Amino acid sequence: MKLRKGPKNYRNRYGKGKIMKTNSQPGGRRSFHLRENAQLYLIMLPVLLHIFIFSYIPMYGIIIAFQDYFPGKPFFSFTDTNWVGFKHFIEFFNGPYFGRLMRNTFSLSFYFLVFGFWVPILFAVLLNELKNGIFKKYVQTASYLPHFISNVVVAGMVLSFINTDGIINTIVKMFGGTPVAINTEAGYFPAIYTITSIWKSFGWSSILYLAAMSSVDPHLYEAAKMDGANRFKQILHISLPSIRPTILFLLIFAIGSLFSANSEFILLIYNPMVYETADVIGTYLYRDGLLGGQFSLGTAVGLFISVINFALLYFANTLSRKYSDYALW
Amino acid sequence: MASVRKNPNKIREGSVVVDIILYAIALVICLITLYPFYFVIIMSISSPSEVAAMNVVWFPKGFNLSSYELIVRDAKMWWAYSNTLIYVAAGTLLNCLMAVLGAYPLTVRNLKGRKWIVVFLLIPMYFGGGLIPSYLLVNKLGMYNTMFAVIIPGMVSIWNIILVRTFFMTIPDGLKESAFIDGASHLQLLFKIILPISKPILAVIAIYSIVGIWNSWFDALVYLPNEKLHPLQMYLYRIVVQQSVDLKMLSLEDTKNAVANMLTNIQLKYAIIVFTALPVIFTYPFFQKYFIKGALLGSLKE
Repeated sequence: MKLRKGPKNYRNRYGKGKIMKTNSQPGGRRSFHLRENAQLYLIMLPVLLHIFIFSYIPMYGIIIAFQDYFPGKPFFSFTDTNWVGFKHFIEFFNGPYFGRLMRNTFSLSFYFLVFGFWVPILFAVLLNELKNGIFKKYVQTASYLPHFISNVVVAGMVLSFINTDGIINTIVKMFGGTPVAINTEAGYFPAIYTITSIWKSFGWSSILYLAAMSSVDPHLYEAAKMDGANRFKQILHISLPSIRPTILFLLIFAIGSLFSANSEFILLIYNPMVYETADVIGTYLYRDGLLGGQFSLGTAVGLFISVINFALLYFANTLSRKYSDYALW
Repeated sequence: MASVRKNPNKIREGSVVVDIILYAIALVICLITLYPFYFVIIMSISSPSEVAAMNVVWFPKGFNLSSYELIVRDAKMWWAYSNTLIYVAAGTLLNCLMAVLGAYPLTVRNLKGRKWIVVFLLIPMYFGGGLIPSYLLVNKLGMYNTMFAVIIPGMVSIWNIILVRTFFMTIPDGLKESAFIDGASHLQLLFKIILPISKPILAVIAIYSIVGIWNSWFDALVYLPNEKLHPLQMYLYRIVVQQSVDLKMLSLEDTKNAVANMLTNIQLKYAIIVFTALPVIFTYPFFQKYFIKGALLGSLKE
């Protein structure tokens, strides 16, 4: 192997055996390359084909946002159709729901960021302070659990808890309050969504912070203690700085998801009475676009929100490249 | 991970009072996190009259498993269960296979056009056609209202391809070269040499895929109007969200069982929630290390 250090051989480093065979035939190295590449592409073919069909064809299908598409028309046709330009976008922007949808999509994501972002950080710092390994492990396992429970199960639990005769109202009554219709009162929805989302994700999100903190040299803490730093100061000056890059990176990319409220979950726990605060782009798209059969309008709405999301991600990535030395591309 | 280290915090001895407070906080967080599950379980096993009166808050009151007896006799639920098993098995196998097939060629340095392929793979990670064009495509391909609609579109995960590729890159070149000297083709190398030593990464992908498919319901909502094809989560959706399945119908079918008739609808719902979540709750602590491994691998820069 040591002989094959030169650049010429480097190119063929996986094909030595084959080269020795094919070199004796006419065509030699070149035909071998073609054959090797063909073999590799053949291995990849199912994947490439799948991605082309299920990712790129739908991307091309976005053209129906600029057409009046209805089922039965030629599939994603470029010629045999009537182009309507930005009609569906304008219809959506001037529609009665535009403001509400944008506001809800943004504010639900924003609440989750503001109220939820620091929870896993504090939790990770807390866990890092625990000395008993077994206890710590149990707490971790318990906190990860909600992440693996399906949205439908969580929604089923939430819906029954916030029911008029559910556990929350029972507790309210226990303290002498009057039961409220939590599930049909629009004002409560953001809180329900935010609390549930935090509950579902805080444990799992703490993993990255814990991993970063576990790489801190324990002697740093020892040295700090000798210098008279108490527990709180140790956290402030050692633990937290050790996860600073992770915090910064996750915070920047949280900006990229400021318009991506979890519509798959909202779809499960909302109802027409709370649309005012619960209806987001994703749920509207499913309801009016897909169920309502307004395929062109739905595609236009979908395109609009993915452009926003992509712009935000691009912005976040630029920020991240500048401030945290990490970039997606 | 933190648990891997023996006892790194030994050095960090401090005030016992602070320790006790920290442990207490951790315990409270733990209990709050688990309480909803606990509540659902104690509600499902308490006696129906106590449940109806909402007397159950901290401990089960009475003991009654008739809701489970009823659920277990629900043929539709078992049907949905078996559908889920089919989706999980097929989806996981295909996911692993596709990740391996997609990852291997990307590790060969002299693959022509590798850069373009990487771009081709990365674009769909950030941008997609969206729900409706995908829906129309699945319709057009004739997969609408068939099992394929929930298996095929999700069988390639670009994320998994990247994870597997990263793992393949760590395999020593010597191993690959010696296989070629023995006259192996790329396909033979992949399946006879590389795959057997790739079990750790395949386990991570498989576990993620199993839980992902087990928990998924939205594809079924969009693509499967036929209830016979619904996975378990979709059946649960119809019961607890849509409320289009009335579990009490089950108990009315045999009126001899007076206790069953007393069961409240809510108790039946809780029982089926427990039934759906149980496999995940029981198995996930054993697979936790794979999940964590996946989460940490995913955070690395490719």
